[in-house]
Amino acid sequence: MSKKINLPWNSLGLIGVLIVLVLFFSLMSDYFFSTVTFRTLVNQIPALTVIAVGMTYVLLVAGIDLSVGSVMALSAAVVGVLIVDFNLPVVIAIVAGLFVGLSFGVASGFVSAHWKIPSFVVTLGVLEIARGGAYLVTSSETKYIGDPIAFIGSPVPGIGVSAALIMAVAVVIFAQWLLSKTVFGRYMIAIGTNEEAVRLAGINPVKWKVAVFAIAGLLAGLGGVFQLGYLQSADPNAGIGLELSAIAAVVIGGTSLSGGRGSVVNSFFGVLIIAVMQTGLAQLGVSESSKRIITGLVIIAAVLFDQYREPLAKKLNRIA
Amino acid sequence: MGLKQLLTRAGFLITLGLLSACDSGTPAANQEATTSSEDKPARVALVMKSLANEFFINMANGAETHQKDNADKYELIVNGIRNESDLAQQVSLIEQMMATQVDVIVVAPADSKSILPVAKRAIDQGITVINIDNKFDQELMAKMGVSIPFVGPDNRAGARKIGEYLAQQLTAGDQVAIIGGIPGAFNAQQRQAGFEDAMTAADINVVSIQAADWEQAKAATIAAAILSENPELKAILAANDSMALGAVAAVRQAGRSDDVLVVGFDNISAAQDMVKNGSMLATAEQYGDQLAVFGIEYALQILESGQSPEDKNTPVDLVTQESLQ
Repeated sequence: MSKKINLPWNSLGLIGVLIVLVLFFSLMSDYFFSTVTFRTLVNQIPALTVIAVGMTYVLLVAGIDLSVGSVMALSAAVVGVLIVDFNLPVVIAIVAGLFVGLSFGVASGFVSAHWKIPSFVVTLGVLEIARGGAYLVTSSETKYIGDPIAFIGSPVPGIGVSAALIMAVAVVIFAQWLLSKTVFGRYMIAIGTNEEAVRLAGINPVKWKVAVFAIAGLLAGLGGVFQLGYLQSADPNAGIGLELSAIAAVVIGGTSLSGGRGSVVNSFFGVLIIAVMQTGLAQLGVSESSKRIITGLVIIAAVLFDQYREPLAKKLNRIA
Repeated sequence: MGLKQLLTRAGFLITLGLLSACDSGTPAANQEATTSSEDKPARVALVMKSLANEFFINMANGAETHQKDNADKYELIVNGIRNESDLAQQVSLIEQMMATQVDVIVVAPADSKSILPVAKRAIDQGITVINIDNKFDQELMAKMGVSIPFVGPDNRAGARKIGEYLAQQLTAGDQVAIIGGIPGAFNAQQRQAGFEDAMTAADINVVSIQAADWEQAKAATIAAAILSENPELKAILAANDSMALGAVAAVRQAGRSDDVLVVGFDNISAAQDMVKNGSMLATAEQYGDQLAVFGIEYALQILESGQSPEDKNTPVDLVTQESLQ
């Protein structure tokens, strides 16, 4: 339960890992350490970033959401179909897509919190339902949208990063504020730490849990919109396995799988670590087998690092 | 305290292990060596579909072998996506290759449309882009004002070759059936068209055309139905070898192995055995492991000569009992 602002120390280990990775890839490749590489890299992460934010909240209340990848694909599919087949204005299509994500989140949250079914099982079901929905609305074909949606993913002139990235970073900052500065944030941590105690204190955890899943769903929908802007097409197979990337990023960021402890900003660092790994390994042209083995090792190493990051952070806080 | 120290050490050891593992394993080491030489070899990025699929692994391996034999001419970076349909990852990979300022990107697009915008950006950046395996959508290319050369087998011509060889064993007026691949797929359409070209030219009567979606079991069911409906049937032309194997099974079950000839496409090893022992008449080899190499060679040729790129056909050869001997 972080009352005082000890954020920089907490993030220190992750920033360290990030710096080591960047240095390593810069030494290995002549082309890695460049503005183009970093710009390309950050423009690829908006979808994963907002989905990792939602996942952080869900893990905080000791839940899990396996459906985010499918929900993202379905939301994107709905936006795509509304633009291409129904000729609706882009803004309306986007709102509809976000609404789809939100609804799935509310449904998952309600079913699991109200009937006390593990969210693992509920969202596993929703994973299938949303994927089926994505196939259904797209007729299992990739919908090419093109220019109308490109503005979200294209670099903003003068800055070089996309509108999607700016929005994603804004989401990270807002979500961290919500977590560390508001009642909602404190309830999330309390529910994740000891749900029974929360109930005994006279607070109904069900509605807060539904809210958390609703946010995760909405952010999955937003991720879908970002993905659309990036690809300029709605792919019914988008985001397969994305839930695992999101969980990996969040766990690298030190959020506990058993709830009650976590940080949105650190999840963002987790996303960056994964993105740097992917970009670096791709630029080196490492074989697919080594890529996977190295990625797996780095995930474990980063979490190990996290184990002694905590006591170190405390020590540094005492000194500071 | 002891535990903490242990963890610290473990962390360092893992990091160290990682560093050394990467050091020995990556092609970057040999890249460094070659870039220092006087005339810089071209840098070629091969962006594949799923490297979990044998067909693409063979293609990638073929390219890597070719690069080793031509190390003075070019450097090669091979990347593939996690699963066949991960468009976002393929777009990312192409962008990352653009960031490393490669000279050439040879791409097997996971989708014929969605990969085009990023391919166009690569071209705008001055990179030579070559299309292999799955052809980019012609209409969208025209609309976007780009032209990306496709280097790959002419499936229609290949199928025609097989059909012509079959026609030599038949007489005008004979009845044959065609079993096609997935109806929407470009190569399925091309192969079927090639078969039909050859049959029409030889005045052979195509009594049935049905799709079995590239699948062996489905082809067996369909072939069985066709056989019982057409007692005079002389041959079945299958658009790939898996379906040809299914057709052969159906022919055998119907007890008509002596009367009905079967041809396929792809030259997979099981089909090779069947051609050898005579249960299949012919198939076609499209040199799958060389498809990426053809693309790379063509790109290097364009780089050198500056010629304007056009589509290029790669060889498709007939495989028969004689050719296998």
